[in-house]
Amino acid sequence: MSADASKLLHDLKSKCASLKSAADLYKDCSAAEKQEMLALMTAAAEEIQRTLAALSKLS
Amino acid sequence: MEKLDIFVLEDDKLAQKVMTSQLAGHNVDLAADLKTALKKLETNRYHLGFFDLMLGPSDDYSGLKAIAAAAARGVYAVVVSSSDSDAIIDRAYELGARDFYAKGNEGSNVAELLRKFLQNRRAAGASDIFASAFITGDRATRDMVGEALKYAPTELPLLLLGPSGTGKTSLARVLHEHSGREGAFVAINCSAYTEDLLEAELFGYRKGAFTGAADSRKGRLLEAHNGTLFLDEIGTMSLNMQMKLLKALEERCFYPLGSEKPERSDFRIISATLEDPQDLIARGKMRFDLFQRVHGYTVTLKPLAERREDIFLLVQHFMKGGRRLSFTAEARAQLEAYAWPGNVRELKKFIDLLSSGAEGRVGLDTVKKHLKGQPVRAARADGGADAVYADALARGLESALENVADEVIARNLRENNGVRTKTMADLKISTRLLYASLKRRGLSQEAEK
Repeated sequence: MSADASKLLHDLKSKCASLKSAADLYKDCSAAEKQEMLALMTAAAEEIQRTLAALSKLS
Repeated sequence: MEKLDIFVLEDDKLAQKVMTSQLAGHNVDLAADLKTALKKLETNRYHLGFFDLMLGPSDDYSGLKAIAAAAARGVYAVVVSSSDSDAIIDRAYELGARDFYAKGNEGSNVAELLRKFLQNRRAAGASDIFASAFITGDRATRDMVGEALKYAPTELPLLLLGPSGTGKTSLARVLHEHSGREGAFVAINCSAYTEDLLEAELFGYRKGAFTGAADSRKGRLLEAHNGTLFLDEIGTMSLNMQMKLLKALEERCFYPLGSEKPERSDFRIISATLEDPQDLIARGKMRFDLFQRVHGYTVTLKPLAERREDIFLLVQHFMKGGRRLSFTAEARAQLEAYAWPGNVRELKKFIDLLSSGAEGRVGLDTVKKHLKGQPVRAARADGGADAVYADALARGLESALENVADEVIARNLRENNGVRTKTMADLKISTRLLYASLKRRGLSQEAEK
């Protein structure tokens, strides 16, 4: 695996882990926090998609 | 809860949000890049830091540099890793990281790290305690108190055992101060009250509840709300009173005398007794269910005569802020050999007495004058040959040897929770010898059973 692919995978795992932790927290958030959390989770999911696309180009 | 200053190096906004939520209640300072991190670490003070190592997909583990900077400033650095290699984690430890966790389960990981950090902090603080609030250089006592301090912030009831004057109240206060409870430390010596008075003192009363109750009064249980109730000499409480207390402990609810309105109080209980609770239970003086309710963790404080190194630590402590005294070698030896039946309390009185006297230099005659007639400490289980010799000269060899036997037997009985058959087996002694020792220690009724 190339160095770039390795770093992309690292980044992917990190973002997925954050998304999981955020999902764990979500149910206990206040309404306002849920909105903020959802926006951040959506942005993270988009980042994950972009990382996956970058990975697929390398393979 | 202790509020900590915590630094977080994390480039991912969602991860930042997660960490901020997990660390709610503490002062959290965030940085998303190395430059900001180094600046903040340079100018601010933090107790704890969480460090992501790779700041962005093209970063080359710049978080490592931040760890080195944090460690140099005494920050407890924690590596937050998603999938870093062992070599990178090892490098982080070499640079000063103290802990590590894998990203993805922040709920339990962060809570566990905070618990561990605070526990270490308390353990470090414990050494200060032994130089101020609870003076001791005795390793076994330090270990035992250090262990008890781990339970200080919990709900676990604590039972303090040891002869009178060994510092049970001081220790109870220290444990309360480390409990994080916002309420007061409320102490009551159960032996100082008759049954009726103790009930009124503990539960409080309404105006007119009994003759002389001119006004209503809040009881100690209520005063201890959100704090600690320290019940000293709990073994002297009547069985009837023990039952009432047990009910209040179990239900966290009680009725003041003359009142039909129940009161609620959330307090932590620390109790103490100078007698062996197993003996008290066996003699029907203590309810087993109350004992079960109050003895979550037990600390046994040794008499001062078994903590010889503490004598001059305490002398130094008691002289602080007052008159300085110096002791001749003979006077020191006499103090170290003395039995100190009143333990630390007696030593404090002795120093107070000397401090108010005319002499700054204390010789053997002065010590003997004030401690005259008191028994010389006969022997210690760790081998006080000089003390045994001095005792033998003073009171005869037979009496000195009996004292040695009594101390060894008493110690072993304590270690065996009062189980006499175990002590007879451990020490290879006869029933006659054991019971003769119990009689000498004033437990003759017990021995005759």
